[in-house]
Formats: sequence, C-alpha cells, structure tokens
Amino acid sequence: MTDQEIQNVLQELRFSSGLSQEDLQKLASISELVELPASTVIFSEGDSATDLYVLLGGRVELCMNVPAKGCLPVLTLGAGDLLGWSPALKIAEMTATATTIKETPAVRFSADELQKLCEEDHDVGYEVMRRIAIALSQRLVATRLQVLDVFADPVTEGQS
Amino acid sequence: MNLTEDGLPETPKQEVFVSRDGFASLFAVLKSRGFQIVGPTIDQDAIVYDQIETVDDLPKGWTDVQQPGLYRLNQRNDDKLFGYNVGPHSWKKYLFPPSVALSQSRKTEDGWEFQEAPDDPPKLAFLGVRACELAAIRIQDRVFVGGDYVDSTYQKRRQRVLIIAVNCTQAAETCFCTSMDTGPRCTVGFDLALTELDEGFLIEASTSEGKAIVEQLVTHEATRQQQQSAELARQHAVDQIKKRMDTTEIRDLLMSNLEHARWDEVASRCLSCTNCTMVCPTCFCSSVDEVSDLAGENVERRRQWDSCFNLEFSYMNGGIVRDSTRSRYRQWMTHKLATWIDQFGTSGCVGCGRCISWCPVGIDLTEEVAAIRKDVS
Amino acid sequence: MTSKASNMTTESRRQSSLWVPQTVVIRKITPEVENVSTYHLAFTDKDAAARYRFKPGQFNMLYLPGVGESAISISGDTQSHATLDHTIRSAGNVTRGLTQLKPGDTLGLRGPFGSSWPMEQCVGRDVLLVTGGIGLPPLRPVIYQLLNGREDYGNLHLLYGARSPGGLLHRNEFDDWQSRGLTIQKTVDRSSLGWRGNVGVVTLLLERLHSFDPSNTVLFCCGPEVMMRFVARTAFDRGMTAEQIWVSTERNMQCAVGLCGHCQLGPQFICKDGPVFRYDQIAPLLTVEGL
Repeated sequence: MTDQEIQNVLQELRFSSGLSQEDLQKLASISELVELPASTVIFSEGDSATDLYVLLGGRVELCMNVPAKGCLPVLTLGAGDLLGWSPALKIAEMTATATTIKETPAVRFSADELQKLCEEDHDVGYEVMRRIAIALSQRLVATRLQVLDVFADPVTEGQS
Repeated sequence: MNLTEDGLPETPKQEVFVSRDGFASLFAVLKSRGFQIVGPTIDQDAIVYDQIETVDDLPKGWTDVQQPGLYRLNQRNDDKLFGYNVGPHSWKKYLFPPSVALSQSRKTEDGWEFQEAPDDPPKLAFLGVRACELAAIRIQDRVFVGGDYVDSTYQKRRQRVLIIAVNCTQAAETCFCTSMDTGPRCTVGFDLALTELDEGFLIEASTSEGKAIVEQLVTHEATRQQQQSAELARQHAVDQIKKRMDTTEIRDLLMSNLEHARWDEVASRCLSCTNCTMVCPTCFCSSVDEVSDLAGENVERRRQWDSCFNLEFSYMNGGIVRDSTRSRYRQWMTHKLATWIDQFGTSGCVGCGRCISWCPVGIDLTEEVAAIRKDVS
Repeated sequence: MTSKASNMTTESRRQSSLWVPQTVVIRKITPEVENVSTYHLAFTDKDAAARYRFKPGQFNMLYLPGVGESAISISGDTQSHATLDHTIRSAGNVTRGLTQLKPGDTLGLRGPFGSSWPMEQCVGRDVLLVTGGIGLPPLRPVIYQLLNGREDYGNLHLLYGARSPGGLLHRNEFDDWQSRGLTIQKTVDRSSLGWRGNVGVVTLLLERLHSFDPSNTVLFCCGPEVMMRFVARTAFDRGMTAEQIWVSTERNMQCAVGLCGHCQLGPQFICKDGPVFRYDQIAPLLTVEGL
C-alpha cells in the first residue's frame, strides 16, 4: 500500500479528515494499513504497547481484568474508533486488553514515530492531540451513559 | 368605556330597578323555576359559597379585609348584601366538584363490567358571581368542554346552571382583575347581572331565562339617577383597585427564566401547602382514586381535586420529577401565567387575589413576577 | 408534525364518557425477559373489537379495578385485530397486579390515546429506530408497518441497546425482521458470559453507522430521557437536524385526556400533545431539571 493510498484513507476518516494535504502526508508516512485477523489479542492490559490504531471496520472488544471474574468486556469498538491511545500520550501501560472479534482492517501508527512527529512539528502535534482529545471525550460521555445505567429496572435494579 | 356628560355609558345597559323587598322575592322565583340557590353566606368567619334559602342567608352588612396571608370579616355601617369581594370558595366547587364518581366496575361471572357512574346533578342558580369569577368560569369552560376531550361531569353541571352576576362596588387590597382584563365590570357570561344601590338593585338580563325571571319580579324602569348611582358604584370598584400585575410578554418572561434565583427565594418561603390551588377558581388538577367494597367486586372510580404542590403529583418510575418546593412553585406559577396561554389561549389567572390572601406566608404572585421582570430588564 | 389522536370522529369522542373502560380478556401471556411480559388482550364486545384502531406510538390505559390504571404503549401490528399486545414491566401497583392475572381473566381498557409516530415521514427515506430496553415495544408497530410496505422505504436500521444481554426483548423476531429488510444492531451496557456482541451504549452504534443518508433520514427514538438526549446529540454530529428526529416521552398519566394535569411538561400534555414529539419541539423542556 503506497503512502498516497494511505493518505486517501486518512482523508476519509473522521479522525484525520480536515487535515491539510501536507499533514496527511506526514501521517501517512508513519502509518500503514493492516488487516487484523479475528480472535487475536492486539495488546493486553499492562502491556507497554507501542502502536495506535484507527479502525476501519470489524469489531474489537476491550476487556479489563477483574480477579475471580476474568477479563470483563467493557466496550466494543468498530469503524472510526481510536484504539491504543495510551502510548500516544506517553502513558506507559495499556489499561485494557484488546481482542478482535472479527477481521478488523485498521490504520496503524507507531506510537514512537507519532510522538516524534508531534514533537518536531507542533502544528501537526496540536491537530493530532486535539483529535485524540475529541475521540476520548466522546468515549467519556459514552462511558458515563453506561455508568448511569439508564436501562436498569427502576424498581428492582434502580438506585433510588 | 365611553361615558356621557352625566356619567352614564354611551350605550346604556338595559337595566331595570328592583327594591330590596323585590329582590328578596327572587329566591322564591328561582325555586319555583326548579333551581337550588347557592351563594355567599358566612361560615366560620369567612364568606363562603353554600346552599342558601332566603335573602337572610346573605352576609348583610358585612365586608372582607384582605391582605397577603390575611382574611377577616368586618361589619359595615350599612345593610349592603354584596359589600365584599371573594372568599376561599369559588364556583368551581359546583362545576368541577371536589369529589365525584366517574365510573363503576362490577365483577360478574363473565368478568369485569364497566359503566358510567350515575350523575344527575340538580339545577343550580349561582347568586353573586363576580366579574373575575365569570372569567374563571369561561376559562374552565375552555379546559373542560372546549378541547378535543369533553368532561361530561362539568358539561352537565355547566349546562344546567343559572348565573346571576353581581357587579363589584368595591375592591379588596388583593384584587387585580383590571390587570388581567377580567373586571370589575360584568360584561358577558351571565343570565342576570346586579348592581347594588342603597335602595335596591339594578338588574340587567342577558338571556331569555334571565328575562323570564325578571318578568316574575316587581320591577320599575331605572331612573336616570339610579343609573348614575349604579355607574358610580361600579366605578368605585375600579378606583379602589391598587394592586397591579404587568403582564407584558409574561409568557416569554417566565419561560426564559426558569433558572432564575427568584424561584429559590420564593421556595424558601413557600410551604407547598396547596392552599393557593384549592382557592384558585381556575386550577383544575385532579387525581383518580379507587373505592372498593370489601370483596373487591364492586369498585367505583372517583375523581378528587389534587394539586401540583403535592409531592407525589409528579411521581414517575420510582421517583418524583418535581422533587423540590422550588420546582413545584415554579410549575404552578409558570402554568398559571405562562404555559396556560400556550394550552388554552388565555392566561389562567383572573386577578381575584385569593391565592394572595389565603397563602399562609403571604406570597404574592404579582410581586414574584415583578421581581423577575425587574431583575432581567 | 406528529399525527394527533384522531381515531374517533369528533362527535363520538365528545359524546362517549371518557372514563368508562371496555372489558378486555387476556388471551395469552408471553414472558419476555425478567420482570417483563407481553399481555395479548382482546375485547369481549365484538363491536368494540371491530371499531378499535390504533396508530404506532399510541397507548392504552389498562385498568385493574380496585388498584388503578397504567399507561401502556400498544406494541403489536396495527393491521392485526385479533389481539392487542402490551409489553409490560412490573414496576408499580397496577403492573404488579397484572402479574397476578392469568389467561381468561378480564380487565379494563381505555384508549387509544396520544400522538403517533409520523409514518408518512418515513416514505422514501432511510429510517433509524434507536431504542433500548423496554423502549422497543412502542416502536414495534413501526417495524411491522415498515416491513409490511418495505418497498416504500429506504434503508431501515434498528439500533437496540439493553442493560445486559438478558434485557434484549423480542429476539425471537429478529431473524424474521432481518430477512425482510431491517438491519439490526444490538449492544449492551454490561456484558455477560458468552456475549460476543457489542458492548457500550447504543449511541456508539449510531456514531459508527454508515449505510444511511443523513440528509434523507428520519430517526425515531424511544427510551430513557438521558438516552434520547444523547442519541439526538449523536444524530446532530452525524449531520441530522432536530426536525428529523422524533422521540417518545413519558410522565405520570392518569386521565390520558389532558384534563387531570399530571402529565404536563412545560406547556405540553404528554398524554395528548405527546407522547411522540418532534425533537425540536420538546428538546428545550427536557434539559430543565425538575420541570
């Protein structure tokens, strides 16, 4: 896959659309398109993983380790979602285990190279960080809705 | 209203005069026409509406003194029969009874059977309806019979009622009908309208039933002097009104200020006691209760007055939507003065002032509106 | 605009008593998920059965004499007149009382009441049905009507969330619906053993949905108010406007005819101006706490 083809893919993604051609080129040069096979662990909780993904399709399950209960699924991700943002923010350890449920095409960035790019070019760095922040804020709102437990039966399961 | 040089309306009313004795015979006339008469009478230091039999039941020579949180009766120095304003009762207690059966359910071998509860209310004559109350009846007409769904309990009573209005000749401190454009003059919505003079009454008949009743009384053509006295008396009521409520764009004023600090302020005083909704002549909230026999095989559904100030009024899904006095006071006031306009085309308030007099802590909704208005302008 | 309740002619609506229920008998009770069952009701009076029509989104007041009434959305096919389906979660006195009944028992029914989902807005458009938990039954009549006339509509999507996999209703119908042209995606807030499906709130499904044209779509949403607000936000992010979204709201209902005052939300009587509203008309009211 050539840089140009990757650039075209990036242009369509919500994560990277709206960036200038120049910036898209820079991102394309540090990324590659991958096809993650089904039922594969991409990274485990606690790993110091090194890659950031933007999913193009498929389904990935995030789970977290709860003693005596196993790895409990907390979220599934699909097309357009960010996966593995911790290294991009220089957070050492992954906070969840990611497993593909189906074949999942994705754009993969090396976290090290992304960090380097952002440090050398603060304009691109600003845009990348801003988009990561937006993606995470949406994830946060979604998580809050999960916590609110809006579908709980108010009588048998409610908190009142 | 345009007045001529000698103080009479340019389009004079078709009024006739009846003496005090003549007026007293009205009671017999009404009874002979099949009406039960309800009107003002004194009970437990207040002028209330109740069934009355003769002119002697009226509060002759009494007046009311009203202020926020205060209602007292004082003796007058004359024998006027209608020398007061409005008390804790309104005519809604007859048209929209506090408790009424709606339907009956009976368990049979084949299951439940349902039917309408029998409802044959008597013909009532309302004696002494003030202009603000005529407006309130019009407002409740719009609610109960003027929409897509007609309430048959109200409709039956409303169709059978005879309305004898009384023009106010004075105003209480809590009255503000002029601000709501509902009085104090009685213009429409009555069968008969009375204006009290020293020596008797001027009567105006507006319907064929009203005219037929007048014909059974001993009446005389009203003299010019009597007409002038009546007009002066009616004007006296207008002049005595001191309380005002500025209703300019009140709907938007309130609905754009739902989080104003004033709601917290009034909530710190409000007891959520529901007095205001009980005395208000237009409040129409109700609840339905089941009344069952011991075996649970004969059940009646009854409608009772309810109030948005009651905590459980907004209960839903294991919780209470309006969980604070603040939220409930805001609901009452914004409904009465603002969203009522969206729902029914007019304000829900007629300016009778009852809610002000009968609030135990003297909350005055005209002041609440003024406070918000002042703060946002 | 939503279609207002207009099943009876003006005359008949004005004349018959608003308060007298019809007798209905329970033909069948289908347990759905924990605490939730569908009651299949039929009028005992043939004339009442023949006259009765409802529109998707409307509700009936089901009456247990001695206990009270409860507002329940009508959940079946508007064209099928054999029984009226009501999917009920046992929550308060009345719905708990219903769980004591068996097929053959009778109760009272008043209705139908309320505004309905604007089916005419769906013609020639993509339709998104976004719901969760017990919010699916009020949309089920919409699904039947869409699938009965499939060629009139564009892409049809059901995005359905639940607290856990056990809370997804009507799963036994999903295969049939999918085969007839409704794409279904499910998600749960919390997973359980064996669940290989989506985990996360239903708004995420809308965020990721691609096979629809935001400029030519209507979205019907039914569920807890918090969910509906965030579904709307996500829809805006995807390029839809408030005029393309309809929601079904809920409040304490007693008379169901706009006369008892209980169900008011601002100027709206949920029982007769709603429960279905176009989002732009109800949105400002949904965000005021304790209104």
